[in-house]
Amino acid sequence: MERLDENKIESRKIAGKSLWSAAFLVLGIIVFIFATLNLSRLLEGRNSKKSGPEIKLKVEEKSDWSGSQVSPLHRIPLMDEFNQKIVPAAPDSLPFSTRYTCAPCHDYDKISGGTHFNLRQRPAVDRRSEPWFLVDEKTGVQLPVSFQSYPGFWLPEKLGISSWQFVTLFGRNLNGGGPGEPTTEEQTPDSRWNVSGHLEINCLGCHNKSPLQDHSEWVKQVMRQNFRWAATAASGLGEVIGMASRLPATWDIIDGPNPDDHEWAVVPQVKYNQNLFDSRNNAILDLPQPEDSRCLACHSVSPRQAKSKAAIDRDVHLQAGLKCVDCHRNDLSHEMVRGFEGEKLSRSSLKAQDFSCAGCHLGQKPEKGGYGFTGRLGAPRPAHKGIPKVHFERLACTVCHSGLLPEKEPQAVYTSRANRLGIFGKARWTSEYPVIVEPVFVREKDKKIYPERMMWPAFWAKKKGKDLVPIDSQEVLAAASEVINLKENVASLLNCLIPLAEEGFYPAVIISDYLFEPNVDGGLDARPLEKTTPVGKAGKDKFILVQVKEAEIKPLLFDFNPEEPPPGVEDKILNLLQNLKQLAGGRQPVYVIGKYAYRITEGYLDKAEKVGEPAAEPEIVWQEKENFLPLLSDFQVRNLAALGPGPEILTEEQIFLVLKKMSEVKPQPEIVYVTAGFVFSLGKEGKLKASRHPSAAAISWPLAHNVRPAQQALGKNGCTDCHSLSSKIFFGKVKASSPLKTSYRESKLGADLMKTGPLFQFLFGFTFLVRPAFKLLLAACLLLMGLILLVVMMRITRKIAGFQEGQQKPESRS
Amino acid sequence: MVFGITSVVLIIALNMRLTFGRYLSHLPEEKRKVNSENFKGYVRWIVCWKKSFLKLSRWDRCLNYLIAWGKKNYPGWTVWVFYALVLSYAYLALSGLIFAWFVPRGLYGFPLLLHVAAGALFAACLSIILFLKARVYLPEKIAAGNQSQSRPDFYCPLLNKTFPRPYLQAAAFWTFAVAGFLLAASTLGSMLPYFHYPAQIFFFNLHRWSALASVLSVSLSLDSMIE
Repeated sequence: MERLDENKIESRKIAGKSLWSAAFLVLGIIVFIFATLNLSRLLEGRNSKKSGPEIKLKVEEKSDWSGSQVSPLHRIPLMDEFNQKIVPAAPDSLPFSTRYTCAPCHDYDKISGGTHFNLRQRPAVDRRSEPWFLVDEKTGVQLPVSFQSYPGFWLPEKLGISSWQFVTLFGRNLNGGGPGEPTTEEQTPDSRWNVSGHLEINCLGCHNKSPLQDHSEWVKQVMRQNFRWAATAASGLGEVIGMASRLPATWDIIDGPNPDDHEWAVVPQVKYNQNLFDSRNNAILDLPQPEDSRCLACHSVSPRQAKSKAAIDRDVHLQAGLKCVDCHRNDLSHEMVRGFEGEKLSRSSLKAQDFSCAGCHLGQKPEKGGYGFTGRLGAPRPAHKGIPKVHFERLACTVCHSGLLPEKEPQAVYTSRANRLGIFGKARWTSEYPVIVEPVFVREKDKKIYPERMMWPAFWAKKKGKDLVPIDSQEVLAAASEVINLKENVASLLNCLIPLAEEGFYPAVIISDYLFEPNVDGGLDARPLEKTTPVGKAGKDKFILVQVKEAEIKPLLFDFNPEEPPPGVEDKILNLLQNLKQLAGGRQPVYVIGKYAYRITEGYLDKAEKVGEPAAEPEIVWQEKENFLPLLSDFQVRNLAALGPGPEILTEEQIFLVLKKMSEVKPQPEIVYVTAGFVFSLGKEGKLKASRHPSAAAISWPLAHNVRPAQQALGKNGCTDCHSLSSKIFFGKVKASSPLKTSYRESKLGADLMKTGPLFQFLFGFTFLVRPAFKLLLAACLLLMGLILLVVMMRITRKIAGFQEGQQKPESRS
Repeated sequence: MVFGITSVVLIIALNMRLTFGRYLSHLPEEKRKVNSENFKGYVRWIVCWKKSFLKLSRWDRCLNYLIAWGKKNYPGWTVWVFYALVLSYAYLALSGLIFAWFVPRGLYGFPLLLHVAAGALFAACLSIILFLKARVYLPEKIAAGNQSQSRPDFYCPLLNKTFPRPYLQAAAFWTFAVAGFLLAASTLGSMLPYFHYPAQIFFFNLHRWSALASVLSVSLSLDSMIE
């Protein structure tokens, strides 16, 4: 019995040893796999590191920062452009100059190399950003202009735009500096820098916390060419009256005000608000980090379909309490961190990758899911559960998290710089053109997909070999103004009819299903007629003259007995015909009623019997020799009916006529019109011909805002947010928008823009229909395999222990 | 990169070891040594053998052998499960390894779609095969059935031990089974909405290394299958 127990103990020891051997073997395998995995990570990490670290602060360069986290209240003297201290109470004070006012403490030259100011010196590797847009709504021009040399972006030099023209065109959204402070070489004959002064860097435009800081005032002053006064007026430190644009080109600041002209060419003058200065004439300025409103003045985007500000959700970072500058930081160099992956800063001491999406949310090694300390500024660490890693290799963060949620087609948006948002006054500044759409998902050269904004350029151009070179739209207007100014001409005609309208009513015209009314800008507003009006709808190619008061529509021309006209009627007709005579252009305006025709003969109203059949209804016509022509020509009626309320502003017929006129004036070089991805030119059969050209291609640039909360990220509802048979991402069509009403519109499929085959995406989307079944199948297989393996493992383990027991049995028997 | 190098090295090394062993088994007992002369002969033998694959007849013979082997070991309808397993696995291994070795982006596009479809078939077939054959490869069955065999035992220099061939077959079978299980598990894990990004990376690596293990076990199995 004791021997048996000893044998048992012995066999247990041996079994234990075997178990330990097996355990060590398993442990060794695990260690091997672990070591290999980590080695692979290490080597991959080394390979993925790009050469060249971020710029390091030179040892000998001293930091300008004092170390304090508080921005001081600035009690500083304001200096003018002659570096003289400004006394606010003095008459004829000059505006302050930031170059001399801020410079004693802040290196102006260093700052002038910053992102907002060094437009010409942007590095070639810098990511595309929204270009400027040269827009002429009359001639249908929306041309992207940029100092960045990318396909589709036109350099100002190539368009013949001088620094002066650039500032007058786009100064509303310039911060000063850059083209606003041209060198002597950049001065051109058309410039008036001596009159307007330079547009210096407007430090207060971003840094002034005062509620008096007004972007609209800046725009107003820049539009008046009051460049040296703009910063003073916009800051609220003083009021500025006068317009440099009205002054003669020979005027200089030393000339001072003109005492003889107090109404028209008034020299800009500043009247400082002395409440903002202390007893020593120092201005008191609160200049912390820029507030969001300063940034949003130039950098906001809103969907066109939103009817009010309340319908738009702000960026989630702003909602969380962050400010724009918490991420988009800069040091004194003012090289702004933009925050995209792979950004390189050339002059800043900051590390760009610290402020990218991954930098804050994932910390170090974002490609591995993030290591180290994350959660900068409270950024939540994303779990990204269930998302295969290919998404993080092929998609930018912004694909899922930024911009408007994708629809069947991208949505049109307004942007501050393109569509002039954020400028307030009596007039409505927001322009309909250019038309920009988002989101459009595009695969870039780094093979990653980004959400972008897209627009199709539209411009008049001349053929120069195989290239197209934009021409000044004023040339087009000069050559074919009567074709281009269709709406203006009709509006002028309608305004001439005011004498016939009743009190409070204004003349308008019904063409097809639309009502066209003159607006304050001299053009026409159109609205569709929803119900049958008391005057009825005009038939095809016909028009009805009406008078309108808000929603009430009445006929303009009324019937009366010309042989016994009511009192005052003939006076009205006389006024009407006198107005029309100014637009007659060699024809004679005639008011026809029944068998009579009213004309102006030698300055008097002449009523005579009409030749031919009596008119069934009263009408206003043009008489050209013996012929009576309708007030509105067939061309005008036809094209207005085609255009309707818009958004297009030109028809193919107009384009054809313009090209024909220009070819008659100047046959070479050939003039074409580029829009919607096509080039329109005169064809051989006397028709308009549409063809393709690289210059007509759409342009796009990556977007990053507004960032949506995680609950609104793509993929929140599962893979089918993007991967499905009816995916808006892959199968949504991006159709070109254009000022031209045409059926020739380039159309791109989302999958093509992402350079992924539509067929593959269709099949891949199809697999998601069967994916739940696939997962169930896998789970069932795993369950079965797992059970079998478990049973086998247990038997093997028992065998290992029992085998030793079995071996010992013959010994124990002996 | 490490995976690429490791997988290539291991696959080549194992196959060289197996084919060298097979070459040596053709030699007389006294000449079965690891020396340069035998190595040169082995290289000549391998080249001839590989050259023979340029002829269709060799492929035909291989296919016939496989079909015959399948019919012999999988009676009735189960042979179709075996064929499906073989075909699906062949595509999975080829597509996976070729893209892993030669395409930096990895498997994508239509090959990826087919890979997933083949993976489903593979998982189902493997489950059935495991259910049918697990008992055959249990240790006690292997020990009991350890009888005469046409080829010499397998010598493992790592453990300095000689193993009977059936043990090798069993090891290959179970390695393949475990690898297949891990392949399916890593696939399912990556598709479920429960695991975060580091886990996705883990599943990806688990899938790769399990695939390598399965390829190595298939090499062993093929060596065992061929008399």
